[in-house]
Amino acid sequence: MSTTTKSDYLLLFRGNAWDRGLSPAQLQKVVSDWMAWFERLKAEGKCAGGHPLEEQGKVVSGKRRTVADGPFAESKEAIGGYFYLTVADENEAIEIAKQCPGLEYGSVVEVRPVAEICSVKQRAEEYSKRELAAARA
Amino acid sequence: MLLFRGPQWDRGLSTDELQQVMDKVITWFEGLNERGKIKGAQPLGGHGRMISGTDGRLVVDGPFTETKEAVGGYLVLQADSLNEAVEVARSMPTLRHGISVEVRPILAECPIFQRHPELVRRPTKDATRAEPALTEMAA
Repeated sequence: MSTTTKSDYLLLFRGNAWDRGLSPAQLQKVVSDWMAWFERLKAEGKCAGGHPLEEQGKVVSGKRRTVADGPFAESKEAIGGYFYLTVADENEAIEIAKQCPGLEYGSVVEVRPVAEICSVKQRAEEYSKRELAAARA
Repeated sequence: MLLFRGPQWDRGLSTDELQQVMDKVITWFEGLNERGKIKGAQPLGGHGRMISGTDGRLVVDGPFTETKEAVGGYLVLQADSLNEAVEVARSMPTLRHGISVEVRPILAECPIFQRHPELVRRPTKDATRAEPALTEMAA
């Protein structure tokens, strides 16, 4: 997946009602800019793919595995889509996120490094090492 | 797409308990993989940034992974229906430890085009390449 010189980042686009109140001309510009941005990143080899997500989904939670509708469509936090980036470093991922055409209209872009190893597994391994060290001491 | 929320569910579990849960998670994941249900899956690192404002002038640390809402990883599932995806989500072993799983259908095209049928599907500059952009996103 990653090499020694490149790292992977996920951009999560939050706020899926940014189009409310925009004129048709403004909207056309944002979606055209967005498509051009995605095409350019793919052509530059910096974006391996991306997808919009359907607004209505389900949220599963709890010991009883309850299923609820969600997330709420008109939420600033709701994730509306994502890009998968392969770039040099975090700074490059942030610079790309800053180019998102929806930012001007209230979108928020979350930039997250893709981890090699699950953080829970990592913590479990560190915990076992500490326990072993304590047992030896 | 399954989004796993609440990445710090392991707090307070003993090593033995955690080992048992992780064994179940790995078995769950491998079972799905063997059935060809997984198109991609990754855990996400804890240190991220939130970018907002015109030209992305606001850059702050986040999200706080201590929160139950923070996304700790994702799985792109090959499912025949939303119901099947929900059933897979319901079988995730860490649900009983406080995570939640958001199940979202992946779209071929941005829902903006459904809400605004008057919009033309064209990128700003590269007009020579007619209309492939958002449909390719589903490829």
